[in-house]
Amino acid sequence: MDAQLAQEIEIETIAELLPELTYYQILQVDPLAPTNVIEKAYRGEARRLHPDRYARSSNEETKRLANQIYRAVMEAWKTLQDPDTREAYNQELEDGHRRMTEDAKKQAESAAAAAANPIHAAKTDKGMKFWRMALRNWHDGEFSGAAMNIQFALNFEPDNETFKEWLHKAKNAHEGEADEKRNPYKLRIV
Amino acid sequence: MGLAVGIDLGTSNSCVAVMKDGESVVLSDEDGNRTQPSVVAFGRDGNVIVGHRARRQLVYAPQNTVASAKRMIGRRYGSDAVQRVLQTTAYGIVEGTNGDARIEVGGRAYSMPEISAYILQHMRSIAEKATGEIVDQAVITVPAYFNDSQRQATRDAATIAGLDCLRILNEPTAAALAYGIGKGHRQHIAIYDLGGGTFDVSILRIEDDLFEVISTAGDTFLGGDDFDHALATHLLEIFKKETGIDMSQNRTVRLKLRTAAESAKIALSKATEVEINVPNLAHNHDGAPIDLNTKMDRIEYAKVVLPIVQRTFLTCDDALAQAGKASAQMDHIVLVGGMTRYPLIQEAVAQYFGKKTYEGINPDEVVAMGAAIQAHNLTEANPETASILMDVTPQSLGVRTIGGFCETLIERNSGIPTATTKTFSTAHDNQSEVTVAVFQGEARMADDNELLGQFVLDDIRPAPRGEIKIRIGFEIDADGIVKVVAEDVESATIRSIRIEASSGLSDDEIQTMRFDDLGF
Repeated sequence: MDAQLAQEIEIETIAELLPELTYYQILQVDPLAPTNVIEKAYRGEARRLHPDRYARSSNEETKRLANQIYRAVMEAWKTLQDPDTREAYNQELEDGHRRMTEDAKKQAESAAAAAANPIHAAKTDKGMKFWRMALRNWHDGEFSGAAMNIQFALNFEPDNETFKEWLHKAKNAHEGEADEKRNPYKLRIV
Repeated sequence: MGLAVGIDLGTSNSCVAVMKDGESVVLSDEDGNRTQPSVVAFGRDGNVIVGHRARRQLVYAPQNTVASAKRMIGRRYGSDAVQRVLQTTAYGIVEGTNGDARIEVGGRAYSMPEISAYILQHMRSIAEKATGEIVDQAVITVPAYFNDSQRQATRDAATIAGLDCLRILNEPTAAALAYGIGKGHRQHIAIYDLGGGTFDVSILRIEDDLFEVISTAGDTFLGGDDFDHALATHLLEIFKKETGIDMSQNRTVRLKLRTAAESAKIALSKATEVEINVPNLAHNHDGAPIDLNTKMDRIEYAKVVLPIVQRTFLTCDDALAQAGKASAQMDHIVLVGGMTRYPLIQEAVAQYFGKKTYEGINPDEVVAMGAAIQAHNLTEANPETASILMDVTPQSLGVRTIGGFCETLIERNSGIPTATTKTFSTAHDNQSEVTVAVFQGEARMADDNELLGQFVLDDIRPAPRGEIKIRIGFEIDADGIVKVVAEDVESATIRSIRIEASSGLSDDEIQTMRFDDLGF
């Protein structure tokens, strides 16, 4: 059989199956495999399915699909190489998702961030009162109001580093808002 | 289909190579030169000359001779890069219609991709004369740390020159391919690439025919020129100390000292001590000329340029940290770029990695040779046996979020091609537009990074805030070029949006600049 035709059929077959495959199936490894086994499998698949292998194909669709498959291989390895994201993915699998959803990715990443919730930054009752108002302003996108309330909170806790950092952020955000409106850049749409 | 070559489009010099009978071969011009100065000279009658002949014109017609296009390619007129070059050139640099920098020669403004296209065209004609075949495809190399705009502008240059650009390839990666170290073994290598204007370091893992870049780091403001600048500044101080005259504001003096500094650098690569004589730097009260006469040995020179050398090692630290490796874990250290032929650099690098540097291929030619191998891999070679390159994106890609922060979407050193999606929602009731500004860089605040461009999603249906969800796909292709695809989930209208390069050239402009259309 003609080599290009063989390539096209291989790529089309994998691409058709792709949405149904888990990351483990994409890398052809056991879901309980240790990381070093997964790493070895990833290199094998990356080599086998690298888009450069299809660079001289005259079929644009084959090239497009080859790219898509390769990205899935990369995504699979990226998710499975880290024990935390792998654990989060295993949870996703149990919930019936074959891919990491955007939400799950965010959750895995923000687990640490949640521990440092800024609401706990205030140390005094009066400070807390204005701090809460400031965070509410922030949430609503009212950055000048947020800056003002943080200023008030700082009157009660002048050494609070978190307050200072957020004051800086709020001021920047307020200025950034104005900037966005006069940005001269325009993009080309193909 | 014609021949596919590899072109190293360097800041100072360019080189072209091709695969012949399984070997990568550098192609010489008719005089036997294996590299060409990246210089473009414009004659009075409108003719354009490139390379060695153009460099000779640099001396007597500097206002018509362009020698630093690569420093400005893909940069905005107002950027530091362009403003720096402005101070050292004899030709005019003006702002183009799209905010890009253009070179004004003989009453015409040339974009940077056009200047680079003249060099590519020259390399192509050298290759055609040397092989007797038509050359219409090329792999073109760029510094690994080049951002999206710079890569896009380089691609545009190829299009203008009538070349099908098979791949924009990173210079250190190309060098690794040319060396082919570790074929058959599993090894880690560090590529230290110090050229005329840029510095890159890449950490690779090589196993059999798989070349995997683990990390790369760089500095597009660090190169051989900085060494000359440091010595020139030092010479100014010596002159001031000896004569009490401060000539640091005099442009001619600065240029003279720079030339002297470059000569001293070259001489010190062979001799251990040189005399530096620069006549006629200033005049005393009687109007008699005062010269600079001083001696410099290797040790003193090393002291002068030490801060620059140390900066390269900070970048090496960064690349190693990103790769999760220690310097001692590198099996080989490969030197690339003209600056690495100096003993000073060779010794410092060997000391940093605790290992002798790998030698073999001419550092001025190795990049073009690697590019030729990749060109062969992408066209002729058997896909089952060709070596496979897995490269990374050098800088993080992100968007501006509330508060002016930069939210990273694709981290630096992610393998390419790669893609990710992000869902944006409206922040106000009945918001009809969402603007997304795309950046490249590592700074926390978006505006401290390089703005690649921004796009507007408009005609959004009126709805309470947060109800509208718009999914945006961000892709980085194998050339390291960014593409953005927007999908309004609700109406399922998909629009493909390309980020406009800072070179600012539209497809129409590129088409009208094409040499073949002009009968070049």
